[in-house]
Amino acid sequence: MNQAEVTKLMSQLKIALKPRHRNLKTPLGPEGRLDKLRQTVTALIKYERIELFYNRADEARGYTERLVSDALRYGDTHKPMMEMADYWLLEKQLVHKLFKVLCPRFENENGSVTKMFNAPRVYPADPKRAYFKRVVLELKGNPYPTITPDSSYRNKNLIHNVLLDAAMKDFYAEKERQQQLLEQEQTLNSVEESKK
Amino acid sequence: MTVHLQNSLWKLRTSSNALYKSVYRRCFSTQDVIEHRNRLFNNEQKRQKDNVGRIEKIEVRYLGLPSNETLIMNKNLSTPFNCAQHFSEAVCENAVLALINGKKLWDIHRPLEESCTLQLLHFKSQDPNLVNQAFWRTCSFLLGGVLQRILKENTGLHLHSFPYPSLKSGSFVHDISLNVDNWNPSAQDLKSMSIEMMKFATENHNIERLEVSHEIALEMFKDNPFKREQLPNISNQNKGVITLYRAGDHIDISKGPMISSTKYISKVKIPSVHKITKEDSNLYRVQGIALPSGFTLSAYAFDILGQRAKRLNTMYLPVESADPIHSDEAPSMQQRI
Amino acid sequence: MLRKICKVNLIQNNLINSQYVIFRHLSAKAELNEAAESQEKKKTKKPKKALTDMRFKYPEFLPQPDNRLRNPVLERIMRKDMLDRRTQINIPEFYVGSILKLTISDPHSQGKTNSFVGICIQRDRTGLYSKFALRNVIDHQGIEVMYDLYDPAILKIEVLKLEKRLDDKLIYLKDALPEYSTIDVNMEPEILAEGGNIPVNDTVVKMKPFPWMQKWERQGLKGVEDLDKHLNLWRKQQKVKHDSPWDKYDLMKEYRKTITEEEQSEIFSEIFNRINKINEQHKQKAKAARRTISKPQNIG
Repeated sequence: MNQAEVTKLMSQLKIALKPRHRNLKTPLGPEGRLDKLRQTVTALIKYERIELFYNRADEARGYTERLVSDALRYGDTHKPMMEMADYWLLEKQLVHKLFKVLCPRFENENGSVTKMFNAPRVYPADPKRAYFKRVVLELKGNPYPTITPDSSYRNKNLIHNVLLDAAMKDFYAEKERQQQLLEQEQTLNSVEESKK
Repeated sequence: MTVHLQNSLWKLRTSSNALYKSVYRRCFSTQDVIEHRNRLFNNEQKRQKDNVGRIEKIEVRYLGLPSNETLIMNKNLSTPFNCAQHFSEAVCENAVLALINGKKLWDIHRPLEESCTLQLLHFKSQDPNLVNQAFWRTCSFLLGGVLQRILKENTGLHLHSFPYPSLKSGSFVHDISLNVDNWNPSAQDLKSMSIEMMKFATENHNIERLEVSHEIALEMFKDNPFKREQLPNISNQNKGVITLYRAGDHIDISKGPMISSTKYISKVKIPSVHKITKEDSNLYRVQGIALPSGFTLSAYAFDILGQRAKRLNTMYLPVESADPIHSDEAPSMQQRI
Repeated sequence: MLRKICKVNLIQNNLINSQYVIFRHLSAKAELNEAAESQEKKKTKKPKKALTDMRFKYPEFLPQPDNRLRNPVLERIMRKDMLDRRTQINIPEFYVGSILKLTISDPHSQGKTNSFVGICIQRDRTGLYSKFALRNVIDHQGIEVMYDLYDPAILKIEVLKLEKRLDDKLIYLKDALPEYSTIDVNMEPEILAEGGNIPVNDTVVKMKPFPWMQKWERQGLKGVEDLDKHLNLWRKQQKVKHDSPWDKYDLMKEYRKTITEEEQSEIFSEIFNRINKINEQHKQKAKAARRTISKPQNIG
């Protein structure tokens, strides 16, 4: 019910966000939670695709989005921004990656910068973790093969589609021809019957 | 039955390749003809290479992935394949056909003649129609080679021609002439033919293109009455230049373009052979369907295509007869090949 | 054969992207041509600065940030009602730390008014519910009154001194020495030059000894003297224990407490024209009133 804190301007994130944060299991409290998330964010920026449990992935996703969006907003000459990047990226060469690789990549990105997909549960499952959802979290424009099926395969002009399309047309044309022949025969029969 | 083909398919599969060759391949006397053709082809190819003389450089602007680059290549020597080699193996693998200056199709192994922009096409490009046609043409071309390999000497085989590729007609075709009346190959025979063609494909021949003069072409095809007949017509249209293609030892006349290698042909089916003339001559049309590698199609869907390809493909029939099954759309020889 | 690769006209941007492109995309993207390359991508529009700067002047127009409690339709209706109210009464620009004089009709005696002068120590809540608290010390007795900003009983709001303080809330004035919140009731209004920046009053207040209402030492206040001299060892230890220096890195915590730039610009562009018009009308009314008073009178 309080007024929003608006001193600092922030860009809208293009992801679905929980209204409240999740607590992550750690004896160190809020600080430990951020430490865990730092590791995940660092890994995500480093490897561009990681597989992990849903809760942590969903939390880390927001932080990554914010980090990239702030990096885009302030650039690498902004001291608080550098401090923030320094905190969130545990490996310092990734700070360079953030500003020199990811920023140009997402400069004209209108949607989110990350994607999350459901992943299959490992079988046989570790009984302690059997019910945890697994997901794949990735940065857009990563160098790996796509997770979703290649939509280019739905192209109508691909050779097998052209062949099947022609076959289908042929089939229906033939069917229509048969129908017409049948009708002609019937009319002839009816004429003959009427003559009789 | 004059055609000796494998009767049991399992035998073919289990027999060693050498055994298979020794038993089922015919002993060519036309082997000499083929060797003669290849010798001429090689000589002409070498001559043309030597004629290039002083190497000049051209600038090739490559458009596409991984990045747009400008390459300095050798005029009349470097091919689009050489350009692709500058990038990576994956680019080479995916280069099936080249597009020059955004409009002209160019074979992958054909030397570039001037500075140009270069795009590499493959079967899963955004608009693969051009590649599909080249693929279909290549299949027709290879079918001729396969028939030459497997039909016995005494069948009197002469390759007639193969028409402009049409995917929508449902099959690729090759017209041949035999001295056999009413050749009616069994299902086993057809199956063996398909397998032979797949084997030919796995031999992984680069498909070469060569432009030769009318005289050389005439010397090459002197034993083939149909080609002899067609050649003057073709050379008239092309200012005395005949375009030849070669895959392995099989050489034929074609306008092109064709895909870069036989390895892209994965699944082949030869469903039917039709006789397309009446009594006087024995022209047969061999029909087939094929898919490039990397395309999966269920057995059911492939069977539908096979069933359709069983019917006579009436596109560009070589005879202008009043035969009722031959529609009147049979074009003149100019449109063929 | 000697070949060279020349990299020509490569935009830095492209170069970087190309390191991360692989050939599985060939199917989808191989058809690149120069035309597509030269085509610039649509850039997202950045909100205007004038709009987003309104967030300080009209904080109550921004909704509260908790998504669970938000109701876009209600917010819109409220904004309309707020503007309607503003046509009736001039609600001036003021901040926490400004000194206000407020005249309000007395609910218990008809036709009579009360007025109160004080320093604004807090602005709270949003929409029609927005409130502010005034504080003054009268007859050695600290008095704080919380008013609804859009209360129809309010007759007049005057800004006697327009300034900001170092903190967002001055609730700590309760425990500060009374001199910091003592304001002359008959204070004359100080007029600021128009269009200038709002001055920031960097007074650092001194606190009274214990007991305090809140644990001020844990709140990171800027407008308060060093509090350590008031604290015993236990309280100092507790301060360190409850400190959370990682909070400033908690990007999502920050994000969940804010209204984003895009949303702000949407809201303010909705009210921009009307609120400017209303302000203009109030200005002209005030001008006219001043003119009538300043007219010299001819006597005899």
